[in-house]
Amino acid sequence: MAKSDDCIHILQGLLVFGNVVIGMCGIALTAECIYFVSDPHGLYPLLEATENDDIYAAAWIGIFVGFALFALSILGIIGIIKSDRTLLLVYIILMLITFAFEMASCITAATHRDFLTPNLFLKQMLERYQKADSANNNDKRMTEGVTKTWDKLMLQNHCCGVLGPSDWQEYTSAFRFTHKDADFPWPRKCCAMDAQGFPVNLDGCKLGVPGYYNSNGCYDAISGPLNTHAWGVAWFGFAILCWTFCVLLGTMFYWSGIEY
Amino acid sequence: LEGVTTGSTFVLEQPRCVFNDYSDADIWLVVALEKAKATFNNSVAPGTAERAFQNFPESTSAYMTLNATLANYPCPKPDGDITVLRVGSETSCIQDEERPTCNGPLPGPGPYLVKFLALKGSEPVAETDWSQPIMLRAAKSPNSITTMDGGYSAGMIALTTILSILFTILLAGLVAMLVFWGSDACGGGSSTFSKPEAVTVRRYNTHHVYDQPAARL
Repeated sequence: MAKSDDCIHILQGLLVFGNVVIGMCGIALTAECIYFVSDPHGLYPLLEATENDDIYAAAWIGIFVGFALFALSILGIIGIIKSDRTLLLVYIILMLITFAFEMASCITAATHRDFLTPNLFLKQMLERYQKADSANNNDKRMTEGVTKTWDKLMLQNHCCGVLGPSDWQEYTSAFRFTHKDADFPWPRKCCAMDAQGFPVNLDGCKLGVPGYYNSNGCYDAISGPLNTHAWGVAWFGFAILCWTFCVLLGTMFYWSGIEY
Repeated sequence: LEGVTTGSTFVLEQPRCVFNDYSDADIWLVVALEKAKATFNNSVAPGTAERAFQNFPESTSAYMTLNATLANYPCPKPDGDITVLRVGSETSCIQDEERPTCNGPLPGPGPYLVKFLALKGSEPVAETDWSQPIMLRAAKSPNSITTMDGGYSAGMIALTTILSILFTILLAGLVAMLVFWGSDACGGGSSTFSKPEAVTVRRYNTHHVYDQPAARL
């Protein structure tokens, strides 16, 4: 009996350890998702206007799943130490529900990341940046959000357009309706600015002289943070779920061995 | 230069070291449609209705602008200087009939031909050849941008597949657990273990310990 007692104790120890890790990972997931939802790079208006902001929904689910994992891991530890069949059954069922939610969050984040192509942002920028008239209040709010975000992006990252300043030349846009091509081949924010916020050399900027305008596209500055967000939610969640899978299998095996 | 041609402007090199012998002549830029090349008359004075920017291209097929003298184009050209002329940069006089020599934005994508013409008084004294046809950029509509052509990445497919498999296994395990709840088939026999109950041991005094005093009586 001593040998199988040892086995039992080892299994218990492993499961308790597994649950401790799940608890800590739950807290980490909550913290990570709160960071993403707080939108430190200010890119949410761009996504809201494309009506493709599901990676934020995935982060919101992640916050609550993280809490649930933490709470359930404590329940699991108590259940394993007391070897209580009912407690462990409740634990397993609730964990499966949490697993399903986290699975939804990971798949949503990964799938919607694939929708965020340069063309999506290009089309939205051309249609909304500095658009003069809006159909309704919602439209107006989205247009203002897009314009402010793009202005901030172009100023801070020293970039212009999605792929480059030529975006403004290759396509007509809402901006082109209100700003003549001769005066504004590209928006003023694409010019190299001095400390007061005025273009260093306006003619040089309009001509496209290197040094007086921003010649890079902003796509890297947009896709970098969004990729981190989406992959952070998706793959960290995936790692937690793999670990949870092992712990749950172990717990099911343990449960089936308890005498009742 | 990224702005060499835009939708309504284009850039030319200044005519440096070209009109060296004509220091007192006015050098004008002629912008014309391709069809005006054959019938262009150098003697028509700039600033007239036939050469007014505002009438281009409806009632005239060429206009003259960017008046300068040799002093504006010193020779030799210093190295490193950007010596260009931007045709189409003046937007304030597009409708102004008082300014027929306006350097206004071009009304369409072209093609346009240009040449420089030196006039002394009203006599043409020198000119350059006509340039190659210049086409400006034509802008497409943003509706032509396709946004749904990205496929799904391999990572996302792997993630979805693996998670689905894991979840299915767990569900199967749960079903197996509940189905075999009552039976001893799984986990019965030697691998069951007892709950660690609290076992209390009471001291049990056997009878003979108390019998002794009774036996003495």
